[in-house]
Order: sequence, then C-alpha cells, then structure tokens
Amino acid sequence: MDPIVIASLILAGSLLLLLASGVWVALALLSVGMVLMGLFTTAPMGSLIASTLWDSSWGWALTSLPLFIWMGEILFRSKLSSDMFQGLAPWASRLPGGLLHVNVLGCGIMAAVAGSSAVTCATIGRISVPELEKRGYPLNMTIGTLAGSGTLGLLIPPSIIMIVYGVTAEVSIARLFIAGVLPGLLLMLLFMGYTAIWSLFNSDKMPPAEPSVPFLEKIYRSRRLIPVALLIGSVVGSIYGGIATPTEAATIGVIGALILAALGGGMTRESFMEGLMAAMRTSCMISFIIACAACLTIAVAFVDIPRSLASWVDAMHLSPYALLAVLAVFMLILGCFLEGISIIVLTSSVMLPMVQAAGIDLLWFGIFVVVLIEAAQITPPVGFNLFVLQSITGKDILTVTKAAMPYFFVLMLLLVLITVFPQIVTILPKLMSG
Amino acid sequence: MIRGALDKFYQACGYLAAAFMIGIAVAIVLQIVSRMRGVTLDATEAAGLCLAASTFFGLAHTFRRGAHVRISLIIDRFPPRFRHGVEIVNCLLGSVVVSFLAWHVTQLALQSYEYNDISPGLLAMPFWIPQTGVAIGVIAFAIALIDELLWLLTGGRPRYEAPDEIGLDKPVA
Repeated sequence: MDPIVIASLILAGSLLLLLASGVWVALALLSVGMVLMGLFTTAPMGSLIASTLWDSSWGWALTSLPLFIWMGEILFRSKLSSDMFQGLAPWASRLPGGLLHVNVLGCGIMAAVAGSSAVTCATIGRISVPELEKRGYPLNMTIGTLAGSGTLGLLIPPSIIMIVYGVTAEVSIARLFIAGVLPGLLLMLLFMGYTAIWSLFNSDKMPPAEPSVPFLEKIYRSRRLIPVALLIGSVVGSIYGGIATPTEAATIGVIGALILAALGGGMTRESFMEGLMAAMRTSCMISFIIACAACLTIAVAFVDIPRSLASWVDAMHLSPYALLAVLAVFMLILGCFLEGISIIVLTSSVMLPMVQAAGIDLLWFGIFVVVLIEAAQITPPVGFNLFVLQSITGKDILTVTKAAMPYFFVLMLLLVLITVFPQIVTILPKLMSG
Repeated sequence: MIRGALDKFYQACGYLAAAFMIGIAVAIVLQIVSRMRGVTLDATEAAGLCLAASTFFGLAHTFRRGAHVRISLIIDRFPPRFRHGVEIVNCLLGSVVVSFLAWHVTQLALQSYEYNDISPGLLAMPFWIPQTGVAIGVIAFAIALIDELLWLLTGGRPRYEAPDEIGLDKPVA
C-alpha cells in the first residue's frame, strides 16, 4: 500500500481511538503528531515538535484571545444580565412572541461583548428563564430561543472561534469579525421571525400581552444598557474603522468591562479573581490546543497528506457546492461529538488546502464554518448550549434538545442563504477601511 | 507534606499565568498610550511572549481544575473498574508524552542560550528567557500528570474531573 494511505489511516484511527477514550484533546493531537512524524519522516522529531510548539504559542494574532475571554468572564459576573432583561423587556413586550424576543435581543447584545456561545447563553438565560417562567411563557420556546440565539456569540464579533479559525487558516481576524456582523444580524431576524410566527399560530399557549409602556418610560428603563452599547460601539467600531487591531480593541473591552462591572456594583475582589482565573484557564486550554494542533499540522504536512488529499478531491471534479455540502455534513457529524475549537483545529490541516484548491474564499469559508459550529452547539449528545440550559432549567437533555431543534433548522437556513448570496458575508469586509 | 507543596506549586503557577495574562493587557495599554503621545512603542512582541508564558504556566493548574477539554461521553458509560483502568492509561500516556516534550523544550531553551538567539523585533529579548518559562510550565504539567498517575494507581479517584456546574471554565466555544 501507498505509505500516504497507511499514514492517513493511522492518523484517523489513532486520533479516533485517543479522543474516544477520553484523552485530553490537546494531548491526543500532540501524541498523534509525534507518532506520525516519528514513523514516516527522518526529521528529528523531538526538537521539531518543541520548536513548532514554541513558534505557534507566542503569535501576535492570538493575543486577543485571552483578553476577549476575560471580557466575557467579567461581564458574566456583573449585573449585566438583570439590566439586560429590564432594559429590553419593555421594547419586546408588544411584539408577537412577547418577551421571548428578549432572549434573542439579549443574546445578540451579549454576543457583541462576549466571544463564546456558552457565556452568552448562560448570561441571558439565568435571569430570563425564571422571569419568563413566572409570566407563563411556554418553557420549550424559552429554551429554544436561548439555545439558538446563544450561538450568536460565535458569529457576532468578538468571537473566540473566529480567532482560532483566523490563526489556523491565516485569515485576518479583524476581517473575519466584520464579516460576521451582517450574517449575525440576519440570524437574529430569522430567529425573531420564527418565534413571532410560532406564537401567532400558537396564541393559546402564550401568556396575555403585557400592558404597553409609554415611549419615554421605555427609554428610561433601558438607561442601564447605554454603557454596554458604548462598549460594543468602541470595540467593534474601532476594529471596523481600522483604528485598532483586535488585540487593542480587546484591551479597551477589558478595561470597559471592568469599569462597567465596578460602576454596576456587582464587582468584588472574589468575583474579579474568579473571572481572571477562569479566563486564564480557558485561554490556556485553547492556546495549548492550538499549539498542539500546529504540531499535528506540521507532521501531517511532512507526510504529504493534505496535498494528496487535495489533489484527490480535485480529481473527482466536485463542484464547489458539492464539496461544501460534503464538508458541511462531515462537520455536523463531528459537531455531535466535539466542541467547536477541536473541530476547527482537527479538520483545518486537511480541509483548508482542499477548500483553497476548489477556489473558495477562506474568509467566506470561515463564516460558513462558524455557522456549522453554531449548529454543533445545539446538537446532542455533545452540545454545550444544551448543557448550559440543562443546568439552568433542570430539564433533561431530551426536552432541551427537542426545544432547540427548530432553531437548528433556522441555522441551516442561514447556511443556505450565505451560500447562495455570499455577498451577505463579503460586503462589509470589502467596504472596510484599510 | 509533599502533597501540600505540590498543590501550592500548581496554584502558584496558575497565579503566575494569570499575572502574565494581565501583562498582555498592560503591554497593549502602554502601546496605545505612547501612540497617543506620539512615541512609537511596539508591544506586539511583549504581548506575544506574555501570552506564551500565560499558556504554559497555566497548564498544570488548568489540568487540575479539569479545564482541559476531553470527550468523556463514552468512558462515562464504562463500568467503574474498567473506567478506572482507562483513566490510568490516559494519565500514563499523558505523562510519557508531556515528559518527552518537557525534555525537548528544555533542550530548546538551552540551545537558544548557547546560540544567543534573540527575538526578531525591537524588544530583542534573548529567547532563552521566555523559553525557560515554557520549559518550567511544561515540566510542571508533566509533574501534575505523573502525580495524578500515582494517585490513580494507589486507588484514588481522578481529581481532574470538571466540576458539574455552569462553571464557564469548560464550555468555551
């Protein structure tokens, strides 16, 4: 047999075995990288691994990662979640679907200050679930809207997953962030549209509408959201305007979040330390996975797997749409068992050369992948938003999954839309200054 | 005695990692402030080196707090005795791989010292300094893994199981 085929089989088989038996993802990547390199090349494996690990761990592009994670952790521990509910409720109460829209809008706003889907979902959910339950909203819709719009955390900048994709695919993180804005807003519209239509057809299950609030009163109740709006404006705006790099914007974001939490009165010494240490652990975990994945990528490239795979796909003369469909199905299956970051680092070394060979724009493909990973957040058995909601509501995974299902299909609709109209993704980065 | 000292060591590494994370922000703030005052200060290198230090110093602490992701879906379903065996194999594999890595990362730092490698930017920091940090971090991780392996072999239950709460430690993406 061809040594490349043997190497590919060893790669896939050993990765699968290690991951399935519960080896830490980073160490699984590292071990397989070492084995491949040791068996199939004459390169001095140990020192090559050490220098690759070092080279990929101090890159400038990655420095925004811990800061954006930290920003989310600070805001998660602040009083933002209750402010958000009070501020948004008067605006949503008269729409068909009522306060369910608070979930979508709240997650959309939270997504613009936090980079993770679980943080977004948990921050909004821990206040809105009890409030909506008290008012008699159907629980499955509460869970569904939260599960679905929690995933906005990945698509609306800042986004941890986009940083990871940007670093591995060598695509500008600033452009990725900006590319996510329009699809993110569109997704919010789709979620709200579905919720409104559902509640029009099921008005018997919905609680009576709340009394309307005069306009000025609405503004007054939303006053606590003004600082958040300013924070979003300065973080995303400075990236879009080309004034700040993502890392600088993240630093401004951390300082802004600290001020916000301090002024809101929700900040104590303990909560500061908790947020700091939690952010450090998450960032450590992610950057170590990225560094270990870089070792695997080098090993895989040494054995020449990506090029042969790319030319093999090339020889099949798949249309780009067919290739995208195959990759989408593949990633959705992976998404049932892995979380987003692992999916990206695992697949990128073989998938990106293929995609590039097919003439697909890597920036657009990044958003395509992010939407797929959003879907992975709400597919069982491993879907982190489902876990978050399970622990907030105390319902079993089956109920939570069922409630989230319609929103999974809305995500698939978005995927089709950005494939048919790629301009939704590419127009803003094209207009960007710089 | 040794137990307490080791736990303190991992914890100290964790605090050091957090300090370096703050260091990234401080470096960037300095860069922004000096740019406003018309002085060029390039913080990209310093921030990158802080990031590396934060990552590697944090490894052991992150491991003990169960924040390194893994798929426990399948092994959760194993009978307890068999699962204990799998955990031992995992820790053994981890100990071997990370110790091997620790050896070579240490070699890398020694080489940088010998050849006097410096970072490419304005900072011109001798590479052996941050690389020594990396080596210490990876060695700490190796110690934590071996520590855990011995603990499991003497019949202990894994201490790296993630706490089951909405600790946002684990679900990140």
